Amino acid sequence: MRHTDIFDTQRRNLLRLGAFGSAYGLMAPFLGGFAAARESLADNRILVVLELSGGNDGLNTVVPFRNDAYYKLRPTIGLKKNDLRMIDAEYGLNSNMAGMVKLYKDGRMAIIHGVGYPQPSFSHFNSMAYWHTAEPNSGATFGWVGRLADVLLEKNAPYPIVNVDATQSLAVRSRRHVPVVFDDPARFVPKGAPFDVSESASDAAGNTSQAFLRDVARSAKEASVKVRDAWQNYKSPIDYGLVSLDLPKVASLIEARMPTRLYYTSFRNNAFDTHVQQGNLHSRLLTYFSDALYAFMQDMERIGRADDVMVLVFSEFGRRAAENSNRGTDHGTANVMFAVGKGIKGGHYGAPPDLTKLDETDNLIYTTDFRQVLASVIEDWLKCPNAQDVLNEKFEKIGVFG
Amino acid sequence: MKSCQKLRIAVAAWILVAGHAALAAPARPATWSGDLTPIAASEWNERTAAHLLERAGFGGTPAEIAEFAKLGAVAAVRRLVHFEGVSEVALPPFDHSGVHDPGLEPFPPSRPATTNLASKNGKALGIKVKPSGNRRLQPVVNKFFYWLRASRLETDRVGYWWADRMLRSPRPLQEKIALFWHGHFAVNEDKVRDYRKHLQLLQIFHEHGLGNFRELLVATAKSPGMLSFLDAGVNVKGAPNENFAREIMELFTLGVGHYTEHDIREAARAFTGWNYKDLGFVINELQHDTADKTVLGRTGNFSGEDIVDILLEKPADEFIAAKLYRYFVHDDPSRETVSKLAEVLRSNDFRIAALMETIFLSRDFYSAESVGTIIKSPVQLAVSTYRKLELDRVPGVPDFNTATATLGQHLFNAPTVAGWAQGRAWITPGLLIARKNFAYDLMFPDINFIPSDRYPDDPLIRSVSKRLEDGANISNATKPPGVEDIENMSMANLMADMDQDFNTRYGSYRGWQMALEKVKPIPRYTAGFDLAGIVARERLTTVESIVDHFFKRLLSVPASSAQRAQLLEVLRTELGTDDIEAARSYVEDALRVLVHRIMSLPEYQLG
Repeated sequence: MRHTDIFDTQRRNLLRLGAFGSAYGLMAPFLGGFAAARESLADNRILVVLELSGGNDGLNTVVPFRNDAYYKLRPTIGLKKNDLRMIDAEYGLNSNMAGMVKLYKDGRMAIIHGVGYPQPSFSHFNSMAYWHTAEPNSGATFGWVGRLADVLLEKNAPYPIVNVDATQSLAVRSRRHVPVVFDDPARFVPKGAPFDVSESASDAAGNTSQAFLRDVARSAKEASVKVRDAWQNYKSPIDYGLVSLDLPKVASLIEARMPTRLYYTSFRNNAFDTHVQQGNLHSRLLTYFSDALYAFMQDMERIGRADDVMVLVFSEFGRRAAENSNRGTDHGTANVMFAVGKGIKGGHYGAPPDLTKLDETDNLIYTTDFRQVLASVIEDWLKCPNAQDVLNEKFEKIGVFG
Repeated sequence: MKSCQKLRIAVAAWILVAGHAALAAPARPATWSGDLTPIAASEWNERTAAHLLERAGFGGTPAEIAEFAKLGAVAAVRRLVHFEGVSEVALPPFDHSGVHDPGLEPFPPSRPATTNLASKNGKALGIKVKPSGNRRLQPVVNKFFYWLRASRLETDRVGYWWADRMLRSPRPLQEKIALFWHGHFAVNEDKVRDYRKHLQLLQIFHEHGLGNFRELLVATAKSPGMLSFLDAGVNVKGAPNENFAREIMELFTLGVGHYTEHDIREAARAFTGWNYKDLGFVINELQHDTADKTVLGRTGNFSGEDIVDILLEKPADEFIAAKLYRYFVHDDPSRETVSKLAEVLRSNDFRIAALMETIFLSRDFYSAESVGTIIKSPVQLAVSTYRKLELDRVPGVPDFNTATATLGQHLFNAPTVAGWAQGRAWITPGLLIARKNFAYDLMFPDINFIPSDRYPDDPLIRSVSKRLEDGANISNATKPPGVEDIENMSMANLMADMDQDFNTRYGSYRGWQMALEKVKPIPRYTAGFDLAGIVARERLTTVESIVDHFFKRLLSVPASSAQRAQLLEVLRTELGTDDIEAARSYVEDALRVLVHRIMSLPEYQLG
C-alpha cells in the first residue's frame, strides 16, 4: 500500500470523529485520488466468482470418454465421443462448449477435478451455504469473499465487492466492508425525483451507527450513479449468447475503471438441478455458460484487462455417478471447478475421483478440498500473504498459477 | 502483503489518539454505559419512554409515548415484560386457506423421490398413477408442485398474519421477542416446505418466548419444523447425523468454541431417533442409541433432553444473554455486562422475562451507546413505520413480504441456519437505496403493482400458460425457448415427449394454478395514510411545527439543522405558501413528499 492510501484512510477517520473540525474541509470525493493511486500499482488483479447453482453435473461437463466405468454408470445419458469436443487424449467437453474448448486450448483454463469437502451435504441450501462461507458443516455468518475483502483491502476501500444479484449473497457478507449489491443497473437508483439532503460528519458525533449509515448513503449515491453510468456507456460488440450470467454488467464496471477487485455473480435459481431428462437441458445450460464465459474473456481482451482478470467457477455439489431412472442425475458430491484467465496455467489439476470406488451413498469421493483452490486464488492470484487469515485453516495449494 | 498490516496498525494508532477527543462529550451522561442499576423515577421522561417502546416493540405513537412516560419506569417496563394491566390479545387466529390434506404426508424430499414412490406403489401424495395413457404420473407431479407453491404462498400469509400482530398487539414485546427467537431458531421454507410447521414454531415463540429458556429450547428442538430443517430424521443409531446436535450446541446454546467435535458426535447419538410424524414429535425407539455417551465431561445414557440440561450448565447463560443484549441494546456489550446479565438469567432459572426486565430498567439501556444506535431490521422498519404513521392494518400495497425480502429479511426464509446477521449487515448501498424506495412505494402507491401471490415470477411458467392458451399441446407449450431450431434438425426431440411418464414444467405450471385456486388472496389495500388528519389533530399550524412534529414522530436521533432547513424549504415549496390553513385542502400530497424525504434520511434507519 502506498503512503497516499494511508493518508486517505486517516483523513477519513479523523473527519468522522470530528476531532479536527474544518481543518480538512468537507471531504473531497476521495474516490478520484484513490483510483489514481490504484492504477499505478501492480496489483490490479481482479477475481470474478461465477456460481452455477443447482449442482452442475461435472461428469457430463468434462467427460472421461476413455473410461468404461463412465459409460457403465450412464448407459443412456453418457456422452458419446461424437457428442464431445476433445480437449486432449483423455477428456472431452460437452459439444456445446465451443468457447471453453478454445480457452482450454489457449492454455487459459484450468480444470480442477474431484473438488468437494468432508461430510458433504446433499441439500442445495446447506451445501451452497458451506461453499459461501468456506466453512462446511458450521453456521459461519460471513462469506469467504467478504472475509477476503476484510483481509485484502483496507477498511474504507470504496466498492470493495460487487455482487450482481437480487439480494446479497452470503458469499460476500463481510464484517467490515459494504458490498455493492445490485441486479438491474438501471434500477439501482432511488425512485422519484433525485434530491439531496445534506449532512455534515460532525453531526454524527458519538453515534457510530449513524456515521456508518451516512458513509453508506454517500457510497450508495456514488455507487448508483457510477453503476448506472458505467452501464449506459458500455457498448460491447461481443456476443454473450442467450444467457449472459450478468457478466456484461461486471465487464461494464471493469471498463469504467471501478476500483473493485472482487466480483460475484451466478447462474441463479438452481438452474443446474437436472434430475430429469438431463440431456438437452444440460447441453443448453452449458451452451449458455460457455458462451457467456468465453465472451467475457474476449471482452476483457477488448478493454485491455485480460492480464488482470480471472474467473473462478464452482457449483455447490456435483451429481451422482450413475444416472437415475428419469434420464437425469440426482444430487452428488465431488465436482469440477474451472479457473480461467491469462494468468492461469491451463491444464488438469486434482485427481479425478475413481468412478469404480464410490462411497456408501454411491457417490464420488472427493480428492481435492475446495478450500485448496480458494487458498491458491487468495495467495497466488490476489497475493494475500496468508490464505489462513481468510479460510481460518491451512490448505495445501494447487499450482494453478504456475 | 506486509504493507497491509502496517497500514492497519497505523490507522489503529491514529484512531486511538484522535478518537479520544470525540468520545468525551456524548449527549447523555457517559456514566450510564454499563450501569445496570435501575433508572430513577426522576430520570424517566418521554425520551426514555419512546426508546423503550422502540426496542421492546415496534415503536410508539406520540399518544402511546406520552402514556408510557406518565406510567413511570417500573410500571412501563412491567407492562411490556409481564403484560401488567394489559388485556389478553384478542387478535384473530391464523385463517387457513385449507391447502393441506392428509394424503400429502409424509411429503417426500424431492420430485424424483415422489415419482419413484409413485412408480413403485402406484400412488403418491394421495394421488393414483393413471393406469394407462401418456404421462401416467402427471397428476402426482402436479400435486407435488401444487404443495410446494401452496405452502410457500400460505407461508407468506402467515407472514402477513404475524405482521398484523406486530402492528396491533397490546403486548408488543411478545411479538418482538418472537421475532428474536425466530431469527435465533432459524428455518427456511425452501427446505421445510410446510407452512403449518412455521406456524407451530411461531406459536412456541409466542408461548415460551419470555418464559423459561430450557422449555423454549426443548419445545423448539422437538418441533417438526426444526427437526425437518436440521435433518433430525436421518440421525439414527449407527449413523448419527451431526447437523442437529451441532446447531443445538453451536447456534442455539453455546456458540463456537465451547465444545469439541467429539462432544458433537456424542450428543448426536443422544438425539438419535428424534423424529416427527406430520405435526407431532415422535421418538423412534429402534433408532435411538441407548449406550453411554460422554458429552462435555459428563457420561451416561443420555437422552436428548438430558443433553439440553448439560448444555445449560455451561456458558449458555452468557451466550443467550449476550445475544439478547446485542439485539435489544447495542452490539458491543462489555465482558462485565454480559457476565452480570448471565448471572441474572441463571439466578432466575433462565426466565427470559427476568432478564428483559433488568435490561429495560437499567441505566445502561438508556445510555448514549444504546439510544438510537441500532439499525432497524427490515421487519422493524416496515412495522414501526406503519405504527408511527397510525395505520391499523398492514398494507397489501406494497407487499409486506416482497418489501422485507428485498431489504433482506423474508420471514420464514432465513438465509442460513444462523438466521439473519443484524446491525450493519442490513445495510449495503443497494439496500439503502431499496429502503428509500420502500418509503416511496408507501407514500406513492405503485399503480403498476402486480400482486406476487397471483403472478408467478418465473417467466417460463407464464410462457407455458400463454402457449397453452394459444392452442399448443403440452410438449410444445413446455419446451424452453430457443429449442425450435434444434427440433427442426433433430427428429429425436420430437419423439422425446411421447414416452415420458410426466412433464415437470407442465407440473410446475399446473401446480401453480392449483395453488391459486386454493390459497386465499392477500387483500391489496394501500396504506391509505391520512397525514393531513394527523396535522389537524395535532393542531399544527406552521411549516416549522409540522416538520418538527414529523421529525419527532419518526426519528430516533435528531436531524441536523441543515436537514431541517432543507425540509422546511421542501414543504414550503410543495405547499406554495406558509399558511397551513389556506393549504388544508391539498396539504396531504405535500406531507407525503415530506415524510418520504424524512424516511429517506440515513437517520431513519436507526431505532
